[in-house]
Amino acid sequence: MARWLAALALCAACLGCADVRPWERDALARADMAWDPDPLAAALAKHIHFSKEGSLDGGPGGGGGCGCN
Amino acid sequence: MKRVRIAALTAAALTCAALAAPIGALEKGERAPEFSAPGIAGGTISLAAYRGKVVYLDFWASWCGPCAQALPALDQLRQEFPATDFQVVAVNVDREPKLAQAFLKKRPVGYPSALDPKGSLPAQFGVASMPTSFLIDRKGVVRHVQRGFRAGDVAPLREQIQELVAEAR
Repeated sequence: MARWLAALALCAACLGCADVRPWERDALARADMAWDPDPLAAALAKHIHFSKEGSLDGGPGGGGGCGCN
Repeated sequence: MKRVRIAALTAAALTCAALAAPIGALEKGERAPEFSAPGIAGGTISLAAYRGKVVYLDFWASWCGPCAQALPALDQLRQEFPATDFQVVAVNVDREPKLAQAFLKKRPVGYPSALDPKGSLPAQFGVASMPTSFLIDRKGVVRHVQRGFRAGDVAPLREQIQELVAEAR
Protein backbone atom coordinates (compact mmCIF):
# COMPACT_ATOMS: atom_id res chain seq x y z
CA MET A 1 0.00 0.00 0.00
CA ALA A 2 2.79 2.39 1.00
CA ARG A 3 4.63 1.59 -2.25
CA TRP A 4 1.62 2.46 -4.36
CA LEU A 5 1.14 5.72 -2.48
CA ALA A 6 4.80 6.52 -3.08
CA ALA A 7 4.33 5.71 -6.79
CA LEU A 8 1.31 8.00 -6.94
CA ALA A 9 3.25 10.77 -5.22
CA LEU A 10 6.07 10.35 -7.73
CA CYS A 11 3.66 10.63 -10.66
CA ALA A 12 2.07 13.72 -9.14
CA ALA A 13 5.52 15.25 -8.66
CA CYS A 14 6.34 14.58 -12.32
CA LEU A 15 3.15 16.41 -13.33
CA GLY A 16 4.54 19.33 -11.37
CA CYS A 17 7.43 19.47 -13.83
CA ALA A 18 5.30 21.58 -16.18
CA ASP A 19 7.18 24.37 -17.89
CA VAL A 20 6.33 27.95 -17.26
CA ARG A 21 4.74 28.91 -20.59
CA PRO A 22 6.69 31.52 -22.56
CA TRP A 23 3.87 34.05 -22.18
CA GLU A 24 3.81 33.49 -18.39
CA ARG A 25 7.36 34.64 -17.80
CA ASP A 26 6.41 38.17 -16.73
CA ALA A 27 7.71 37.68 -13.17
CA LEU A 28 10.96 36.22 -14.50
CA ALA A 29 11.49 39.31 -16.66
CA ARG A 30 11.77 41.60 -13.64
CA ALA A 31 15.22 43.09 -13.08
CA ASP A 32 15.41 41.63 -9.55
CA MET A 33 14.82 38.15 -11.03
CA ALA A 34 17.84 38.36 -13.29
CA TRP A 35 20.70 36.02 -12.52
CA ASP A 36 22.98 39.07 -12.24
CA PRO A 37 20.83 42.16 -11.66
CA ASP A 38 23.99 44.26 -11.39
CA PRO A 39 26.36 43.00 -14.12
CA LEU A 40 29.30 45.15 -12.97
CA ALA A 41 29.07 44.03 -9.35
CA ALA A 42 28.63 40.43 -10.53
CA ALA A 43 31.72 40.66 -12.75
CA LEU A 44 33.77 42.02 -9.85
CA ALA A 45 32.53 39.33 -7.48
CA LYS A 46 33.20 36.63 -10.07
CA HIS A 47 36.74 37.88 -10.62
CA ILE A 48 37.46 37.90 -6.90
CA HIS A 49 35.89 34.47 -6.50
CA PHE A 50 37.89 32.63 -9.12
CA SER A 51 40.96 34.58 -8.25
CA LYS A 52 40.70 33.24 -4.70
CA GLU A 53 39.67 29.79 -5.94
CA GLY A 54 42.63 29.65 -8.27
CA SER A 55 40.41 27.76 -10.74
CA LEU A 56 38.55 28.38 -13.96
CA ASP A 57 35.19 30.10 -13.78
CA GLY A 58 32.26 27.76 -14.50
CA GLY A 59 29.79 30.58 -14.96
CA PRO A 60 26.09 30.60 -14.05
CA GLY A 61 23.66 28.16 -15.64
CA GLY A 62 20.52 29.10 -17.54
CA GLY A 63 17.14 29.42 -15.90
CA GLY A 64 16.65 33.04 -15.04
CA GLY A 65 15.38 35.86 -17.21
CA CYS A 66 12.35 36.46 -19.40
CA GLY A 67 13.30 33.97 -22.14
CA CYS A 68 12.71 36.54 -24.87
CA ASN A 69 14.43 36.08 -28.22
CA MET B 1 8.15 -9.09 -11.08
CA LYS B 2 10.11 -6.36 -9.33
CA ARG B 3 11.66 -5.31 -12.67
CA VAL B 4 8.21 -5.12 -14.25
CA ARG B 5 6.99 -2.92 -11.43
CA ILE B 6 9.98 -0.60 -11.73
CA ALA B 7 9.51 -0.41 -15.50
CA ALA B 8 5.80 0.33 -15.11
CA LEU B 9 6.50 3.00 -12.52
CA THR B 10 9.13 4.64 -14.74
CA ALA B 11 6.76 4.59 -17.70
CA ALA B 12 3.99 6.14 -15.62
CA ALA B 13 6.31 8.87 -14.31
CA LEU B 14 7.57 9.67 -17.81
CA THR B 15 4.03 9.79 -19.15
CA CYS B 16 3.08 12.26 -16.44
CA ALA B 17 6.11 14.39 -17.26
CA ALA B 18 5.22 14.24 -20.95
CA LEU B 19 1.67 15.32 -20.20
CA ALA B 20 3.09 18.38 -18.51
CA ALA B 21 5.09 19.29 -21.65
CA PRO B 22 4.12 22.24 -23.88
CA ILE B 23 1.98 21.74 -27.04
CA GLY B 24 3.38 21.97 -30.57
CA ALA B 25 3.59 25.30 -32.38
CA LEU B 26 1.51 26.28 -35.39
CA GLU B 27 3.75 25.79 -38.42
CA LYS B 28 4.03 27.19 -41.93
CA GLY B 29 1.31 25.77 -44.16
CA GLU B 30 -1.26 25.32 -41.41
CA ARG B 31 -4.45 27.31 -41.24
CA ALA B 32 -4.44 29.97 -38.52
CA PRO B 33 -7.15 29.30 -35.92
CA GLU B 34 -10.03 31.79 -36.02
CA PHE B 35 -10.46 33.78 -32.85
CA SER B 36 -12.32 36.70 -31.34
CA ALA B 37 -10.94 38.63 -28.40
CA PRO B 38 -11.64 41.96 -26.70
CA GLY B 39 -9.64 44.87 -28.11
CA ILE B 40 -7.42 46.96 -25.87
CA ALA B 41 -9.23 50.06 -27.11
CA GLY B 42 -12.65 48.43 -26.71
CA GLY B 43 -14.71 46.41 -29.17
CA THR B 44 -13.83 42.95 -30.42
CA ILE B 45 -10.98 41.87 -32.64
CA SER B 46 -11.65 38.91 -34.87
CA LEU B 47 -9.12 37.32 -37.21
CA ALA B 48 -11.88 36.37 -39.66
CA ALA B 49 -12.51 40.08 -40.29
CA TYR B 50 -9.07 40.30 -41.93
CA ARG B 51 -9.62 37.45 -44.41
CA GLY B 52 -8.55 38.60 -47.87
CA LYS B 53 -5.66 40.65 -46.45
CA VAL B 54 -2.15 39.61 -45.49
CA VAL B 55 -1.98 39.70 -41.70
CA TYR B 56 0.99 39.86 -39.38
CA LEU B 57 -0.27 38.48 -36.06
CA ASP B 58 2.07 39.50 -33.26
CA PHE B 59 2.00 38.10 -29.72
CA TRP B 60 3.54 40.62 -27.36
CA ALA B 61 3.76 41.65 -23.71
CA SER B 62 4.81 44.82 -21.88
CA TRP B 63 7.53 42.89 -20.01
CA CYS B 64 9.15 41.58 -23.19
CA GLY B 65 12.20 43.65 -24.17
CA PRO B 66 12.33 42.73 -27.87
CA CYS B 67 8.61 43.57 -28.13
CA ALA B 68 9.45 47.17 -27.27
CA GLN B 69 11.67 47.21 -30.37
CA ALA B 70 9.22 45.29 -32.51
CA LEU B 71 6.12 47.45 -31.99
CA PRO B 72 7.41 50.65 -33.63
CA ALA B 73 9.16 48.64 -36.37
CA LEU B 74 5.92 46.81 -37.18
CA ASP B 75 3.99 50.06 -37.20
CA GLN B 76 6.50 51.43 -39.70
CA LEU B 77 6.19 48.29 -41.83
CA ARG B 78 2.39 48.47 -41.71
CA GLN B 79 2.48 51.96 -43.21
CA GLU B 80 4.53 50.80 -46.19
CA PHE B 81 1.61 48.82 -47.61
CA PRO B 82 -1.99 49.77 -48.41
CA ALA B 83 -4.38 48.96 -45.56
CA THR B 84 -6.50 46.92 -47.97
CA ASP B 85 -3.54 44.59 -48.58
CA PHE B 86 -1.68 44.29 -45.29
CA GLN B 87 -2.59 44.66 -41.62
CA VAL B 88 -0.79 44.10 -38.35
CA VAL B 89 -2.90 42.63 -35.55
CA ALA B 90 -1.40 42.21 -32.11
CA VAL B 91 -2.37 40.02 -29.18
CA ASN B 92 -1.23 41.20 -25.78
CA VAL B 93 -0.67 38.50 -23.17
CA ASP B 94 -0.05 40.63 -20.08
CA ARG B 95 -1.85 39.17 -17.07
CA GLU B 96 -2.85 42.71 -16.16
CA PRO B 97 -4.23 44.58 -19.18
CA LYS B 98 -3.48 47.95 -17.55
CA LEU B 99 0.24 47.21 -18.04
CA ALA B 100 -0.36 46.87 -21.77
CA GLN B 101 -2.39 50.09 -21.81
CA ALA B 102 0.39 51.96 -19.98
CA PHE B 103 2.94 50.56 -22.44
CA LEU B 104 0.94 51.69 -25.45
CA LYS B 105 0.42 55.11 -23.93
CA LYS B 106 4.19 55.59 -23.98
CA ARG B 107 4.65 53.88 -27.37
CA PRO B 108 1.41 54.25 -29.34
CA VAL B 109 0.97 52.23 -32.50
CA GLY B 110 -1.58 52.50 -35.27
CA TYR B 111 -2.68 48.87 -35.31
CA PRO B 112 -5.18 47.06 -33.09
CA SER B 113 -4.22 44.93 -30.14
CA ALA B 114 -6.40 42.22 -28.63
CA LEU B 115 -6.21 41.34 -24.95
CA ASP B 116 -5.65 37.78 -23.76
CA PRO B 117 -4.64 37.86 -20.10
CA LYS B 118 -5.49 34.17 -19.64
CA GLY B 119 -3.12 33.11 -22.42
CA SER B 120 -5.59 30.93 -24.34
CA LEU B 121 -4.58 32.34 -27.74
CA PRO B 122 -0.82 31.81 -27.39
CA ALA B 123 -1.58 28.27 -26.22
CA GLN B 124 -3.81 27.73 -29.29
CA PHE B 125 -1.14 29.08 -31.62
CA GLY B 126 1.64 27.20 -29.85
CA VAL B 127 3.72 30.27 -29.02
CA ALA B 128 7.15 29.00 -28.01
CA SER B 129 8.98 32.25 -27.34
CA MET B 130 8.26 35.89 -26.75
CA PRO B 131 7.65 37.56 -29.09
CA THR B 132 6.29 35.16 -31.70
CA SER B 133 4.48 36.35 -34.80
CA PHE B 134 2.65 34.64 -37.61
CA LEU B 135 2.57 35.96 -41.17
CA ILE B 136 -0.80 34.85 -42.53
CA ASP B 137 -1.73 35.04 -46.20
CA ARG B 138 -5.00 36.23 -47.73
CA LYS B 139 -6.52 32.77 -47.41
CA GLY B 140 -5.77 32.46 -43.70
CA VAL B 141 -2.78 30.11 -44.03
CA VAL B 142 0.37 30.67 -41.98
CA ARG B 143 3.26 31.33 -44.36
CA HIS B 144 5.98 32.28 -41.88
CA VAL B 145 6.52 31.99 -38.14
CA GLN B 146 8.71 34.75 -36.71
CA ARG B 147 10.28 33.69 -33.40
CA GLY B 148 11.87 36.53 -31.48
CA PHE B 149 12.60 39.92 -32.96
CA ARG B 150 15.82 41.65 -33.95
CA ALA B 151 16.30 44.78 -36.04
CA GLY B 152 17.64 42.69 -38.92
CA ASP B 153 14.36 40.76 -39.18
CA VAL B 154 12.49 43.67 -40.77
CA ALA B 155 14.02 43.47 -44.26
CA PRO B 156 13.31 39.75 -44.82
CA LEU B 157 9.80 40.26 -43.45
CA ARG B 158 9.20 43.11 -45.85
CA GLU B 159 10.19 40.88 -48.78
CA GLN B 160 7.86 38.12 -47.63
CA ILE B 161 4.99 40.54 -47.17
CA GLN B 162 5.57 41.93 -50.66
CA GLU B 163 5.35 38.40 -52.09
CA LEU B 164 2.17 37.59 -50.21
CA VAL B 165 0.54 40.92 -51.08
CA ALA B 166 1.25 40.18 -54.75
CA GLU B 167 -0.68 36.90 -54.52
CA ALA B 168 -4.26 36.92 -55.77
CA ARG B 169 -7.10 37.29 -53.29
